[in-house]
Amino acid sequence: MKVDEITKIPKVLGAGLATDDGFIIESKFIVGYDPEKFSSMAAQIMKRIKKCLNIEKTSAIFYASNSVFFVKNTEEGIFFVICKKDANIGLVKINIDRKT
Amino acid sequence: MIKRGDDMSDELAMDSGALIFATLADVYLSSGMVDEAISILKDGLSRNPTYTLAKLMLGRAYYMKGDIKEAVKILEGIYDDAGGSENTNLYLGHCYKKLGEVDKAIKYYELTCKINPENKEAKQGLEVLKPKSVKVEKVKIEKSPEPVKIEEIKVEKMPEPIMVEKVKVEKAPEPVKIEEAKVEKMPEPAKIEMEKVEEPLEFEIPLEPLRKPVNRLLSIKAVKGAFICSKDGLLIENYYKDRTDIEEICAMIAAIHNEVEESFKYLNEGCVDKFTIEKEDETVCVITAGASLFTVVTQSGTNPGLVFVYARKIIDEIMGVLG
Repeated sequence: MKVDEITKIPKVLGAGLATDDGFIIESKFIVGYDPEKFSSMAAQIMKRIKKCLNIEKTSAIFYASNSVFFVKNTEEGIFFVICKKDANIGLVKINIDRKT
Repeated sequence: MIKRGDDMSDELAMDSGALIFATLADVYLSSGMVDEAISILKDGLSRNPTYTLAKLMLGRAYYMKGDIKEAVKILEGIYDDAGGSENTNLYLGHCYKKLGEVDKAIKYYELTCKINPENKEAKQGLEVLKPKSVKVEKVKIEKSPEPVKIEEIKVEKMPEPIMVEKVKVEKAPEPVKIEEAKVEKMPEPAKIEMEKVEEPLEFEIPLEPLRKPVNRLLSIKAVKGAFICSKDGLLIENYYKDRTDIEEICAMIAAIHNEVEESFKYLNEGCVDKFTIEKEDETVCVITAGASLFTVVTQSGTNPGLVFVYARKIIDEIMGVLG
């Protein structure tokens, strides 16, 4: 449910929910994007943040050259979203915060 | 040490009128029986008070016993009569050596050596005492205040040439007045020197241009602090004075950045421009600036957009300075 609603936002390329070790629980991506790669990346980044900053609950937004990657630690797992760089990042963030 | 066996035996043999108590006392002294020797000698001298050789032996006995002052008293007492005796001089030398009167000891040892140049005890005594006396003299020379005074005088004289230079400087304006054109040209090298002085300052504070924009950023209420670190985690500039673990945070931020960068490259998503990490109590905003990372720590709930807007100018400055 969460994933479906997020991916309806314009220029969102995909979203997913993954376990702490990077396995996909739920995901929805546009054609050409491998959800497993992003789930593993989300798990890896979250693991690194937890380890470095010594925190359990956290969320992060990474702005890359071509896209923006959201990752958030929730009770259900690691929630992640990828969207185009020119997407409404604020809107995506609000939606993520509401849905998780 | 003193020979106890044959020292006096020669003199006793030479003294045709030697009395038996003296011979017996010499045997006692040779055997180390000093008190017995003193007793016999005192007893014999009470009956033969002019017997110089016995007095010499008594002086030696007191020396061997350790009563140096008594030994000196006896030996000095017979010196008018037995001043030419090798043993009298030798034991006086020994006594004065023990008393620490080096000059006198040397004097008697030297007299002993004059009488008998092969007297080993006198030679050894001189070898021991003469270097000491030389050292004492050296110390005296070192301690003597005279050379110090000379140095002080030199130091006092030093300012004089400075005074002369000053006088020259005071006289300098005269030719300057004459050649006005040269005076006008003078300030130019002075400006060059000023520029040269400013050069090291640029190296000392390379991030000086950042101060104003950073202060503007820090003036935002929600902003706790900021710092610049390299991508390998080394602190470049700290604007977050309240935190003592900034260097650790730098390393952690760099680790996160590098991890994400690798992942993004693997997924062909390009390089990381910036990222925000929201914690329960604060938000960390990191912006890449060439080879550096500019990190701003804010209170939780702060609009990251505001931070990024303010940070943009700082990033441009960082790029300009650090590349």
